[in-house]
This record gives sequence, structure tokens and C-alpha cells, in this order.
Amino acid sequence: MAQTIAIPGQLLGPSSKYVAGPGTHIHEANLYSSVLGTVTIAQPEKKIAPGPAKRLTKIAGLPSSSAQLPTISVSRTGISEKREVLPEVGNVVLCRVTRIQPRQATVAILVVGDTVLEAEWQGVIRPQDVRATEKDKVKIYESFRPGDIVRAQVISLGDQASYYLATASNDLGVIMATSEAGNVMYPVSWKEYRDPETGLNENRKVAKPF
Amino acid sequence: MADRRRINGPVGATTPPIFDKPAGPAAAKTRDAIRKIFLKTGITPSASGSAYLELENPNPQRPGNTSLKLSCTVHGPRSLPRSAPFSPHIILTTHVKYAPFATRQRRGYLRDSSERDLGVHLETALRGAIIADRWPKSGVDIISQKDDEGWDMMNVLSGCITVASAAIADAGIDCVDTVAGGVAALVCKDDKTAPTIVMDPVVAEHDSILAACCVAYLPTRDEITNMWFKGRLPGADMMVYDKLMEKSLVACRCANRVIVQELNETVKKGQGIS
Repeated sequence: MAQTIAIPGQLLGPSSKYVAGPGTHIHEANLYSSVLGTVTIAQPEKKIAPGPAKRLTKIAGLPSSSAQLPTISVSRTGISEKREVLPEVGNVVLCRVTRIQPRQATVAILVVGDTVLEAEWQGVIRPQDVRATEKDKVKIYESFRPGDIVRAQVISLGDQASYYLATASNDLGVIMATSEAGNVMYPVSWKEYRDPETGLNENRKVAKPF
Repeated sequence: MADRRRINGPVGATTPPIFDKPAGPAAAKTRDAIRKIFLKTGITPSASGSAYLELENPNPQRPGNTSLKLSCTVHGPRSLPRSAPFSPHIILTTHVKYAPFATRQRRGYLRDSSERDLGVHLETALRGAIIADRWPKSGVDIISQKDDEGWDMMNVLSGCITVASAAIADAGIDCVDTVAGGVAALVCKDDKTAPTIVMDPVVAEHDSILAACCVAYLPTRDEITNMWFKGRLPGADMMVYDKLMEKSLVACRCANRVIVQELNETVKKGQGIS
């Protein structure tokens, strides 16, 4: 099926009918495309049959009518395989540790979500963001080593050079590590990896395997 | 020692190729139309986005009068250099460069003041079109190169704006609209006849150009992002300034139609492959 093509600046519809998705922008109560691509309209998810009405324990905003509107977005799929994606706050990223310092671990962000990045972006993991508990006892060199592959979450756009990342969750942390002898290790606990050949343990902030 | 950093032209004299039969005469350009534009996106595989533009040559018989050729590459969005301060929006850098062989007089490899001037104009024209805050902490480089000789600066600038707009759309950078460039000029034959306004002036065809105007225009928004006006207007007609502007806007609309068509084809081609 031929999809509708959108070019930048093309009118897509009034903002009272659709919710703006990726690749669109709103100008004077109308939705316009902002990238070159094909138009996709996603219908809002149908609410699952509501259970017994709960008593309101917190003040919620008025139920917004925009939740019921279909989302319109312009995607670049099919135009080029190269997709430029930036890490955003909240994204789970995969990165390689490039440098260890007592106050921070410097990483290179390789993958955002399920998109492999064209360019490498630099990130920083500070000791207070390594884990959620006993933050004051964290030592960076007992959590990461250069060359480790780490799953982390973006918590801030950071400073001029690097994004700030955190591994303060069970499923975040080192997912691939090599020992000092150069062997690929396997995790044995939440803070240790073991070398299968030498049998030695090394300290890491281990991500919980799925 | 020989300069090994770049590929220099031959040292001695060379004989240019001579084509004995000129092509058939082109249709005479009417005053109310712009020259035909050839536009193609995705010509440089290594860049994030790229486009190539060629302007029809109205009188191909004349020697040394070749068509205007422009190529544009967009690199990015990519991370800023370490020394750059934090930026909540995209940093736009534009370069306009004449190829060394693009003009009669051979150009240097370094950008001179006129090229830098064109780069500033191009940056202003594009800045109004790009949604800069969609890409924090990143930079984009836009490099336009003029590959052939013989046209004045305003025509080059309007071509640069049009080709850069197509390349940015090809790179997938968020824009509010496809910006297009257009030129109009006030020309006169001699002192006796009244001056007339032409769209997309061919410099060689006119005896004297009194004033010229180059604008960058967003057609759906009906906004102008950049304007460059040069020359002297006769004092008798108060409206001539407005008329000149309007004519260049018409030229912009014409150029924009070419962009729209080429971008549509780009998407169709992409869908055909996938």
C-alpha cells in the first residue's frame, strides 16, 4: 500500500483532531510535518475494561481529552537506513567503558533503545549513580573496568561534553566483561563476575540477566 | 618540495576540449519564468544528507558559458567538539565554497571574504527553517560547493539555499518548512527605456542591472528568513521595491515546487527499494 508522503512543512491536520507524534510540529493550532517521510496514524490504545473504581487517593488532573485522539507521526523508515537518534533523558542505552577515574567512569554510548548510533556520544557515570543503595560506599573501580559493556539509563543531558548516565537499578549495570587475563567472564552475583579459566572473581556492578 | 596535501592542477598550459557542434538553441527564457532546475538528493553516500542542483543554461552556444552547478552535503547531527560549551539546541555551521576551477580566475583553497559572506547569508536563511531545539548538544555542518563557473553571487546564494534545503530534508533534520531561494532584478536596456523587473536574471543577457534582490522564503508559512538587497532604485516609482520583492517570492515558490517534487521522488524511491 502506498503510504502518504510528507515533506517538511506539509499540513497534516488540525491539532484538535490528532496528537503530535515524532517528526511533526504544531504551528497556529495546526499540525505540520517537520521531516521527510511517510505519515503514520496510530489509534489510541483501547482502555482495558476498568476494574472496580478505586477511591481517588491523590489529586489527579482532569482526564485529558487528548488521550483519546489518534497520534500522527512522520517516520523516515524506508528512506535511509541511517537514522540519526540522540540519547534522551529516560532512554536505556548500551555503552562501552572507555576510562576509569575515582570520581567517574567515562563511557561511549553505542546504542540507544534498539537503534545503533552513527556517531559515538560520550557519557559519564558518577559514583552516586552507580547503585541505589549504599551510595557512599561505591567505588568506581569496583564497579566498572575499561572495555566493559554497560546497560545504563540517561538521567540528564549533562554538561557540554557528556550525558549523565545511571545504573541504579537491578537490570542496569555491566552486561559483558572481560577479566584481567582477557577472558570473557560470567556473572555469579550482583557484584561479581567470574573468569571461567582462572576461576578468579572480579568486582562489577552486575546487571541482572533477563 | 611538491605540495602533497592537495591535488593541484597541471602546472603547464593545457588545451581545452573543443566541441565543434553546439547543441540546438534553447527556448528563449521568458521574463516571467525561472530557469529550469535539476535537483537530486542523496548523491554523497558518506554524508547524512546531500543534494545536487543544476541550473539550465539559457544559451549554450556561447563559449565558456556553462550552467550553474551546486552540490551540498549535510554532516550531522553529531556530537560537538569537546571545547564547545553546552548548547540546548543544534549548532548550525555553513560553508560556501567555490571550487578552484569554478570561476574564470582560479580560486584559492581557503575561503575568501565573498565565500564567507555567502556562508553567513546561507546560515541565516536556514536557521529560520530548522527546528533547532529538537537536537540538543549536537552540531551540523552544511557545506555547499559551487562546481562550475560564470554566475553572480545572488544566483549562487539562491541556488545554495534551495540545494541546502533539499539536503537537510534528506538528512532528516527537523524543519518547519522547505526553504527555497529566489532572485529578482531590475534591469534596463539603455537610458531611454524604462527599467523592467525580471525573475532569475541571467547576468550575461542584460546590459545593466540596477538592483537585485535575493530572498529565502518559507512558502507554507509565508515567511522570509533571509533577504539580500543590492543596488540603487530609481526614485520615481515608490512601489518598485515591493514589486521586486514580490517577483523574487514568485521565484522562490517556483524553486520550492522543484524541491517538493524531488523530495516526493526520494521517498518513493526509498519505498521501492525496501
